[in-house]
Amino acid sequence: MKRLTKYLEGRKLAVALMILVGAGNAAAQTGGWLIVRSAIDHGIVAKNSHYLAIAVAIYLVVAAVGWILQAFLIRGLARIGQAIVIGLRRDLFDHLTGLSLRYFSQQKAGWIIARLTSDVDAVSDTLSQGMPTLVSNVILLPTAVAALLIADWRLGLIAFVVLPPALILSRWFQRVSHIANVEQRNRIAAVTAQIAESVSGMAVVQAFNRERRFQAEFDALNAANREQATYVQKIFSVFFPSIEFLGVLAMASVVYFGSHLYQHHTLTIGTLITAIYLLQLVFQPLQELSDVYGQLQSAAAAMVKIASILDEESEIQDRPDAPVLPRIEGDLDVDSVVFAYGKDPVLHGVSFHMKPGSCFALVGESGHGKSTLARLIGRHYDPDQGAVHVDGHDLRDVELRSYRRQLGVVLQDPFLFSGTIASNIRFAKPDATDAEVEGAAAAVGVDRVAARLSGGLDHEVREGGAGLSSGERQLISIARALLADPRILVLDEATSNIDRPTEVLIELALDRLLKGRTSIIIAHRLSTVRRADEILVVENGQITQRGSERELLAQDGPFRRLAHALEGGEPELAAAG
Amino acid sequence: MSTYVNPVDPPDLGLLPTFRRLLPLWWAERRLGFFGLACSLVYVLISIAIPVLIQQAIDHSIDATHHQHLKPLWPYLAIIVVLGAGRFVINFNRRFATARIGVRIEARMRELLYQAYLRYPRAFYDRHATGQVLSRATNDLYPIRYFIGWGLVQGMQSIMMIIGVGIVLVLVNPLLALYTAVALPPITWLTFRFARRVSPISREVQERKGDVTEAADEAVVGIEMVQAFGRENDIRERFGDKAEGVRATVLRQAGIESRHLPGLYYLPGLSIAAVLFFGGRAHIHHQLTIGQFVLFETLLLQLVWPLEALGWITNLAQRALASAGRSFAWLEGIHPLPEPAEPRHLPEKPQPLEVRFEKVGFAYGGEVDVLHDLELVIEPGEIVAVCGPTGAGKTSLLNLLPRFYDPTAGRVLIGGVDTRDLPIAELRADVALVTQRPVLFSVPLKENILSGREDEDWEKALAAAVASGVDSFGPGLPDGYDTLIGERGVNLSGGQRQRTALARALATGARVVVLDDPLSAVDTFTERRLVARLRPALAGRTVLVATQRLSTVEIADRAVVLLDGRIVESGKPKDLIQAGGPFAKLFRDEVVAA
Ligand SMILES: Nc1ncnc2c1ncn2[C@@H]1O[C@H](COP(=O)(O)OP(=O)(O)OP(=O)(O)O)[C@@H](O)[C@H]1O
Ligand SMILES: Nc1ncnc2c1ncn2[C@@H]1O[C@H](COP(=O)(O)OP(=O)(O)OP(=O)(O)O)[C@@H](O)[C@H]1O
Ligand SMILES: [Mg+2]
Repeated sequence: MKRLTKYLEGRKLAVALMILVGAGNAAAQTGGWLIVRSAIDHGIVAKNSHYLAIAVAIYLVVAAVGWILQAFLIRGLARIGQAIVIGLRRDLFDHLTGLSLRYFSQQKAGWIIARLTSDVDAVSDTLSQGMPTLVSNVILLPTAVAALLIADWRLGLIAFVVLPPALILSRWFQRVSHIANVEQRNRIAAVTAQIAESVSGMAVVQAFNRERRFQAEFDALNAANREQATYVQKIFSVFFPSIEFLGVLAMASVVYFGSHLYQHHTLTIGTLITAIYLLQLVFQPLQELSDVYGQLQSAAAAMVKIASILDEESEIQDRPDAPVLPRIEGDLDVDSVVFAYGKDPVLHGVSFHMKPGSCFALVGESGHGKSTLARLIGRHYDPDQGAVHVDGHDLRDVELRSYRRQLGVVLQDPFLFSGTIASNIRFAKPDATDAEVEGAAAAVGVDRVAARLSGGLDHEVREGGAGLSSGERQLISIARALLADPRILVLDEATSNIDRPTEVLIELALDRLLKGRTSIIIAHRLSTVRRADEILVVENGQITQRGSERELLAQDGPFRRLAHALEGGEPELAAAG
Repeated sequence: MSTYVNPVDPPDLGLLPTFRRLLPLWWAERRLGFFGLACSLVYVLISIAIPVLIQQAIDHSIDATHHQHLKPLWPYLAIIVVLGAGRFVINFNRRFATARIGVRIEARMRELLYQAYLRYPRAFYDRHATGQVLSRATNDLYPIRYFIGWGLVQGMQSIMMIIGVGIVLVLVNPLLALYTAVALPPITWLTFRFARRVSPISREVQERKGDVTEAADEAVVGIEMVQAFGRENDIRERFGDKAEGVRATVLRQAGIESRHLPGLYYLPGLSIAAVLFFGGRAHIHHQLTIGQFVLFETLLLQLVWPLEALGWITNLAQRALASAGRSFAWLEGIHPLPEPAEPRHLPEKPQPLEVRFEKVGFAYGGEVDVLHDLELVIEPGEIVAVCGPTGAGKTSLLNLLPRFYDPTAGRVLIGGVDTRDLPIAELRADVALVTQRPVLFSVPLKENILSGREDEDWEKALAAAVASGVDSFGPGLPDGYDTLIGERGVNLSGGQRQRTALARALATGARVVVLDDPLSAVDTFTERRLVARLRPALAGRTVLVATQRLSTVEIADRAVVLLDGRIVESGKPKDLIQAGGPFAKLFRDEVVAA
């Protein structure tokens, strides 16, 4: 609840106004019945038609006022509710996008998405649909009770007899339904995650005839969710009718004692009748509240889930007074870095230093830590020991975003957003002109790809780059990095799906456009790494060899093994060249 | 053979057709449904009986103006309490029964959709973003659940209540009942107007929410890219816009509600006033007892909620029908790949299979054909490398074999049988695929590798794991082969992911193996080892391997070059290098490098 009220900052006045309107609305409803009472007592029982007519007229006016007030209430509360929802949704998203990669690699995408969508929607539905009911009834309830006491305090007190059981019932309901609702959220999130995973891996599910297995998995989750939903419904189904029953009890007691009082002439018939109505007015909000209460409970359960993300501290954070990194030269120093994803270190004391403008290549066996090193350079993770320095600044001491904006990263499986090819290239530099975008595209050969597609650079790409070949996606992401004009460029197997002649074209473009930038190339094709000033061989999380291609080939070591893998295998091919 | 065009984005169904399709789902739960309706009827009867009893109590046991002689009050009250208790039981049963229908139908719809998702063709997934596919099977189903689980029976109950109350009122005092009806026409008008106005907006709210899901999905999946460029603020803005879209439409919806709902709530006041005025005058003229007067007012009060509910229910009904209309459009409009009418079968195992592309043409639907008149024969047991520049159509060609797509011209034959004449499961059981972008699931490594084998024989799968080099990292993972793999394989390196996908394909007994750039993320040393191990592992299988690396071409007996949608060159790799044609152009540079 506290999390929600903070979005009301600056809307206190609106909230106060709405409470006032709600009170007015409640007063109109109860007041109407007090008018009915006097119409009965002084008009009907007293046989005064004139009085009756006036009372009816007043009643109609009050109803009209109530009508208008309620219209205001619905609109005003929706506005307030949505302000909360949008604040919540944005904060959640902002917070989420600030979390480190480790978090994302530990959570299923579908699970996170369920937080952002169905959980926030649950809060939203409660606020926009439940709130008007809640506010007017919370106000209506005491007003009706007060009116009942005013009408006749003795009858009022009798009505109170049913209050304690009602309260106990509510407490019970709150406890049981909260637990049930939280579990329900878990189960629907599990279903969502399963669907999300199968949809994104559908090609493999189908290719391997796994449909039945996935269906069985889904059926189990879906059934579990259904069971839980049924259980939740059961709890809800008990609550509402029991309140209704309490209402009947209260009415019977009021009629019983009221008739006694009437017989002893200490109560008018009008008051007795009005008491019956007012009692309905007490129990009607109780019933409506019990309905809203259910909604409220599931929203509370949703909030628990949302809070679990909001409470997640990002492991990568700016220090409070971290300075903005000015334009960097590109001096990169990796200093005895040790890093582990889990318990066992993946990098054991990696050190190297790059002068501004130099180009290093990282080679080595798959799974020995090259991409991990690249992630540390991008500060997606912090080293457990040692440090990464840029221009002499420890990365942990500078404002992260100001550093990353000077960094260009191309990954092996680049992610493209839905939008046009041009907008994807522009991603890293939103204010780039069309000419710049076209320039970057032409430099790496995206223009030739675009020419084949309808719309050219304005060709619509779908989420994840569906509709393009893998190499084409890589080309686009290289153009993206090029346009960003980074001071440090990291190419992590960025051209693995690109044919060699096109790669040569890219190399030429990079040499020309990113002259003097520090760059790190991770690649397996030896022709690709040859252009580096120095080649570092990563083996089991350590750099075991470094030097130029020629020096390394001259030594007997891991590089020769890597190189000879190719050479030794098909001597005829090599000779043929 | 006619080419088969499958629409993957059919228009939504209208309200009536949707209703016709929802009905059978409801019918399957008819026992609960009728039980709920019966409870509703009893509920309405009791709810009307209680005020009638109170009227009797007032007239016969309390109000002394007509009778000198009052009847005892307690029997009335006792009956009322008993009825109240009965109503409690009935109401519980009604709510629980109908809610269960809703829950079940929601689960059923989700199951139908998921079943369909598993069978939809690739083209469907090319067209629809994951977030959209996801939200149709989750968020979109809630209105259906609420409508069926609550709205349908509540609506009937409301109508029963209105009719029941009407009958009692007419029986007690027809003239006064007529006066009471003043509020009815405006309420009916308002209800329908509300339903008409609010449903397009509700539909829009649902769509806007779908946008939010899409944006969320994209951001979560693409987070590494976003963070790498420090562009968090851009996607936050993008997401914020979508969220803003939801807010704006929700507020518009609230605007419409505020113009209609209070009316539904306060208009019954007109009737109450009418009863007060005319009923009061009737009482003054001794035409109406005070008890009857109370009865009128109480029953009217009891109508307020059913009337308000009708407004909500019509709205809910339209939303539910709209959601269901979209789901049914997918369920009916999009067809899974058709199974052959007269299925033929592959030659018995272990005979190796020939793969033949005959005058194959293929296009994704755009103007440009990706493949034309492509002719290619792979002998049984032959390994053929498909080379070609980026975007040449290698993946497209390979995807024809497991029938991810069907050719738009010509045919693809496996073991002499057109792929379209084979039962799909049989075809896919004999075509093992490694996709260019490896796809792994969040289950243990072992299960990922085994998922291609029906018998789950780990011994045989282990041989495949060794052949694909999984043995060099698998045992070293925290829990060895039982290590849980993160979604999309996040806790493996790129090369490890690829090798796992390769192992999965080899672990199947498939006689045709399709490898799309299977070693692009693997270092040359590992590759070397794998090439040596793969050849024996692939013996007796017909293999197509697309690649950009000369070192991978080495496992092949023959290389072909795909250019402009045709095979332009074919031969032994070393002959091709010497020939100096397109193949040599593609790889010349690498030869020098080595
Ligand atoms: N998110 C993660 N959680 C746990 N372990 C991880 C994670 N990412 C990578 N690893 C492990 O860390 C090791 C190094 O992985 P890394 O991606 O750095 O290798 P690499 O040298 O880039 O390999 P490749 O050439 O195949 O891309 C691997 O053994 C991998 O299993
Ligand atoms: N799902 C799709 N919808 C529409 N067009 C597509 C789709 N997939 C690929 N294309 C287009 O078809 C052409 C061939 O793509 P394909 O993926 O077959 O190339 P490829 O030879 O495998 O390339 P790469 O070497 O980059 O993997 C490309 O121009 C691509 O843009
Ligand atoms: Mg491809």
